[in-house]
Amino acid sequence: MQCLEFRRAAGADPQHLEPAARHHAAACPGCAEYLRQMLALDERIAAALRIPAPGGRAERPALSSIPGLDRRRWFALAASIVAGVLVGTLLWVGGPRNSLAHDLIEHLAHEPQALAATTRPEEGEVLARVLERGGIRLRPEAGLVSYASSCRFRGRTVPHLVVQTDGGPVTVMVLRNERPAAPVSFDEQGYTGRIVPAGPGSIAVIGTAAAELEQVTARVLAAVEWLKT
Amino acid sequence: MNVPFAGKDGESAFARLCDELRPDLFRFAFWLARDRQVAEDVVQEALLRAWRSRESLADEAAAKPWLLTIIRREHARLYERKRHETVPVDELVGSESPELAAAESQQTLDVRRAIFALEDDYREPLVMQVLMGLSTREIAGQLGLTQAAVLTRLFRARQKLRRALGGAAAGEGE
Repeated sequence: MQCLEFRRAAGADPQHLEPAARHHAAACPGCAEYLRQMLALDERIAAALRIPAPGGRAERPALSSIPGLDRRRWFALAASIVAGVLVGTLLWVGGPRNSLAHDLIEHLAHEPQALAATTRPEEGEVLARVLERGGIRLRPEAGLVSYASSCRFRGRTVPHLVVQTDGGPVTVMVLRNERPAAPVSFDEQGYTGRIVPAGPGSIAVIGTAAAELEQVTARVLAAVEWLKT
Repeated sequence: MNVPFAGKDGESAFARLCDELRPDLFRFAFWLARDRQVAEDVVQEALLRAWRSRESLADEAAAKPWLLTIIRREHARLYERKRHETVPVDELVGSESPELAAAESQQTLDVRRAIFALEDDYREPLVMQVLMGLSTREIAGQLGLTQAAVLTRLFRARQKLRRALGGAAAGEGE
């Protein structure tokens, strides 16, 4: 794939790149940077599009005003929603979940710029916003953060950072709502990673085999400060 | 034939679905009409129409695109009725529309204004993609375009926004 072709694809649909485009971005720092800018732009667009919607009952017709949905059915509907929430909660708590490591790698596959080596730091404003949304502070000893994004992961918005190290770029995902009982190491699809309990949740550090994950994990753990949310 | 929204259970499921989607349907209608009151009218009418026709929907997964189609049609109908009341976008920006006069941050406000000023051809597919999560194939179906045409519009929409927001857009094949 050529750069021009890549940029047309990334400029049209940066969230859903074909494998060939992802491979191109991983090998071309210029296009990886372009993709990073497009994803950052999309984040800004998404935030801007979410204007306040009418939320209060007073501001919108109640469901019971819809023809055919009388008061008795409205109560039945309310009861079914409560029952649904209860069942859903039980299933969520008691049911099996996909492998966290597998889900992390799936997520990375959609963001190929994660493994682009660069010396250029993320824009301070972008990084600050991502950290704030994630409810954390990051001290400078974490290293050079070249990428920061608030990503949807398992139904939550979490900070997705890339830290540049001597062993190459390393992805850091801060998972406030995922807490494994003990540290987890994994090696899948060319990625090596660790998920370490931290604060109220965990921190995942993922890189290639060459990356010095142990050191980086320790550095990141020491650099992350969890804020009350 | 599968009729997911038939009967009492179907009514409940459909009402629940509409409640879940209503905020984003309103936002979609707003960015279509660029007018809060029109958007509220459009969503109200569209949901009533959808309610009456809910049993014609054979596939639950198709509910969102189906509702968007109804909203687009309702907007077109309402637009015809209210066309004489519309005002130029420049007059709306920062004055008529509260969405453009206040936001959580100046940055969000700037992006909102830039999207507001995009031509319909670029704004609508972008909103479908970024806000509603439609694929380019689904957008093509909604707009009656080829997928290639949709990709071109989406690419140009982002380039226009980048330019409007002060970022580089030249030399990228537009």
